Amino acid sequence: MAFIKIENLLKKFGNMVAVNHIYLEVQKGEMLTLLGPSGCGKTTTLRCIAGLEKPDDGDILIDGQPMFSQGFVPPSQREIGMVFQNYAVWPHLRVFDNVAYGLKIQKFPRHVIKEKVMEALESVGLTGLGRRYPGQLSGGQQQRVALARALVRNPKVLLLDEPLSNLDAKLRERMRFEIKSLVRRMNMTSVYVTHDQAEAMVISDRIAVMEAGNIVQVGVPEEIYKKPANRFVADFIGTTNFIPGEIVEVPKGKELVYIQTEFGQKMLCRVFDSAAAFPNQKVYVSIRPEDVEVFAKPPDGRDNLFKGIIQHRAYLGNFLNFFVNVDSTMIRVQVAYDVRQEEGEELFLFLDPEKCIALT
Amino acid sequence: MSRGNLIISAILWFVVALFVIYPLSFLVIESFKIAGTDYYGIQNYIDFFKDPYYLKTFVNTLFLAVLVLITTTLLGLPLAYILARYRLRGKVLFTALILLPIVLPAYAGAFALIVFFGKMGTMNLLLMDWGLISKPINFVFGLHGLVFIQSLHLLPFIVLSLSAGFTNIDPSLEEAAEVEGAGGFKRFLTVTLPLTSPNYLAGAVIVFLWPFTDWLTPLIFGQVDFLPSISYINIAYHFTDMHRKYMGIVSVVVSSVICVGIFLASKTWVERKKYTALSKGTTLEGRIIDPGLLTRVSSYAYMFFIAVLVLLIPIVLGLSAFSRRWVLQPFPSYWTLDNFRLIFLETPALLKNSFLFSGVALLFGVAFGLPAAYLITRTKVPGKDTLDFVITLMLAFPGIAVGVSYLLAFWEGIPLATHWIIMPLSLFIRRLPYFLRMAHASYLQLDVSLEEASEVSGASKFRTFFNISLPLLLKGVFVGLVMFFIMAFQEISTAIFLYRGGWETLPIGIYLNWHRGMEFGIAGAMAFLMIVIIFILLLIVARIGGGILGAAWGSSGGRY
Ligand SMILES: Nc1ncnc2c1ncn2[C@@H]1O[C@H](COP(=O)(O)OP(=O)(O)O)[C@@H](O)[C@H]1O
Ligand SMILES: [Mg+2]
Repeated sequence: MAFIKIENLLKKFGNMVAVNHIYLEVQKGEMLTLLGPSGCGKTTTLRCIAGLEKPDDGDILIDGQPMFSQGFVPPSQREIGMVFQNYAVWPHLRVFDNVAYGLKIQKFPRHVIKEKVMEALESVGLTGLGRRYPGQLSGGQQQRVALARALVRNPKVLLLDEPLSNLDAKLRERMRFEIKSLVRRMNMTSVYVTHDQAEAMVISDRIAVMEAGNIVQVGVPEEIYKKPANRFVADFIGTTNFIPGEIVEVPKGKELVYIQTEFGQKMLCRVFDSAAAFPNQKVYVSIRPEDVEVFAKPPDGRDNLFKGIIQHRAYLGNFLNFFVNVDSTMIRVQVAYDVRQEEGEELFLFLDPEKCIALT
Repeated sequence: MSRGNLIISAILWFVVALFVIYPLSFLVIESFKIAGTDYYGIQNYIDFFKDPYYLKTFVNTLFLAVLVLITTTLLGLPLAYILARYRLRGKVLFTALILLPIVLPAYAGAFALIVFFGKMGTMNLLLMDWGLISKPINFVFGLHGLVFIQSLHLLPFIVLSLSAGFTNIDPSLEEAAEVEGAGGFKRFLTVTLPLTSPNYLAGAVIVFLWPFTDWLTPLIFGQVDFLPSISYINIAYHFTDMHRKYMGIVSVVVSSVICVGIFLASKTWVERKKYTALSKGTTLEGRIIDPGLLTRVSSYAYMFFIAVLVLLIPIVLGLSAFSRRWVLQPFPSYWTLDNFRLIFLETPALLKNSFLFSGVALLFGVAFGLPAAYLITRTKVPGKDTLDFVITLMLAFPGIAVGVSYLLAFWEGIPLATHWIIMPLSLFIRRLPYFLRMAHASYLQLDVSLEEASEVSGASKFRTFFNISLPLLLKGVFVGLVMFFIMAFQEISTAIFLYRGGWETLPIGIYLNWHRGMEFGIAGAMAFLMIVIIFILLLIVARIGGGILGAAWGSSGGRY
């Protein structure tokens, strides 16, 4: 049984539906990320789990116990730890007292509190700063205080709302790994909210992609990247090319279908949901730039081979990006940095059918 | 909906119903009573509006309000612009000086002005000594003096609201006007000023309503024919003359209706305007520029001029406080501490009462204001907006309305008026919105997530309030407390109706000493004493507000 179970969760603000009847499960010890663009309802979902918002409908269970629907368990009784986007570190309390706050409420003996706080501060790398006030800490350090405060009581669930969004890029990278290893080590069940897909890829065991109040796909990072459920997910995660077209033929018993592209040539590509694949269906073929192979001369016996002209060449350090014009459709291609072709030259693109995905 | 919130809401509503709605409705009902009978009708109102005299006072008051508004606007506009837009040395000091009249009682200023500018005042005597004039000039007695002193008292409201407006305008809006070719004054007229109008209106309303509230200053200047003054005289001195009493009550109601009406109209207008015009995010610094030499010199001259006028008040009162028999002399020559001996030794009750009543009013204010602010900003209890509305409305009600209605409502039935508690109670109700607004504003600035973090950590709402919210609100709350105390301390227009022998406060003592025609020195000394006390309180605010505690809340991450 899932550790956190959300069923049919609905939350409205006035007439605006912020979270639209979603279902979600988080396993024990798992880190699940809610990923999506700003305003899609991630924070609202998280706050419903925390009990900071009262849902309009649905059920929320944590560790088998109903939090909502049958009654309403207030946030203070849910045994959760939460890291807020703006840290919410109390400015009038010293670092030590910030972290000790929840323990004091639980009336732990003083020496136990001290021990636990010290341990928590150590685990986030703040040893020796307990007597400081938050105003005397850098943004990154405040962030660590918030993390220590959330973890110190060993909560059932850890909730993190864009905890890294206020840090600079370098620190952000480092904290991703720190948070991940810390949470792993404590075998903490956690829900992580971010709009940064790269961050989500690194940190999550599983990702739930949200769009306009709905969860559109849940899966491990690789699955989300390689098998996006729809055009929105493919577009939001990483970069991809979309080639508009129409299914013309669905060979029996195969996962590959024929598609008439808008630029005139036919191509083969995969469909994951074969039930939805039938002739005349309008689709977009998605293929990632790194999945396109380039050739100076056309190799023999391959499908999905297209001729194009390099319109633009962008040097990105460790590799090159070509923007290739194939009969007026622009296809972005990632190639090794030592590929010699220049702008205006002709080349052949091989779009591996196994990696072309037809999406609706 | 949590039960605790509902209980808080019920208690607050009870207080509002008993001490605001009940007495004020009593006042309104009484105004419809037909004198000498048990019947009710609109006879009193017909009498009031048919009587040329009352109609005249009505028109006079309106006229005074317009004049005061125009004067404050003309004086305040350049000042606000200087303070908001020019980088000048010593601006902070000047700002503090210029804003001083907010906390000085208006009547204290009136006394000072008469001593200095009166017929036999310092100015006339000096001018005659120097042979510049042969007969004294009437500088202040009459409408012009009244307009002048009320304008001086109200100037800070206009300056504060206008300079907030000038500071908060999105710089790009003005830059766009410049790009379009509207430079300098043209830009000011076509873009800056219109965009500031909601701010201006917020201040202008306070100014405009003041002449409907202040009964004492006109009396000091020998003017009776204004609504609040005539109400006061009718009710306080002609209680047995039924006709005059009811005319007094009707004029209180009429003033209240006008005040509330104007207040609501402007509030609606401001809220609508703000939405469309000032919705943009703003920069803190606005556009502060280094003025050229000419601008710099004239700015200083102007600020200096206003500062001198303001400083005249405490200086003149100080001179008269430490002297006796200051008549027919430009400056006092007989120096003494006699006035203070009188105040401290012979009538110490005045001081004691002032502190006691204001202090108790303050306790009421906190006990009511904190839960009210919490309820209004942090909960969704039904009716909280109405509560907020009713409380805010008290900003508009003339003090005289509170005084008279308490006198009427708490005499029989609920005979609170026979106990001294009526004094702090009425002060508390009269200043109800002040503390609430301050607590409210601090609450709005307190990030909700700080409280949520506490709840998530396992703290109850109650515990969260005491451990997290209150310490963080403390600064704002404290400033609110002191401001409330200051306003209660100088309050007279409500208290004058309710005091009985032995309950006199310092302001009432000032009034009585002046009224009985005793030597001015004592009234002057009392007023001076008030100013000193208020000034000390202000220093405390400034110290706490910007000092020690500042580091903990300052974003700069200061040290202790
Ligand atoms: N307290 C609120 N009142 C009204 N609307 C809200 C409130 N909180 C969030 N919303 C709206 O709900 C939607 C989802 O918000 P949120 O969950 O904060 O998005 P995200 O965290 O994914 O950026 C947004 O359109 C937002 O404007
Ligand atoms: Mg969010």
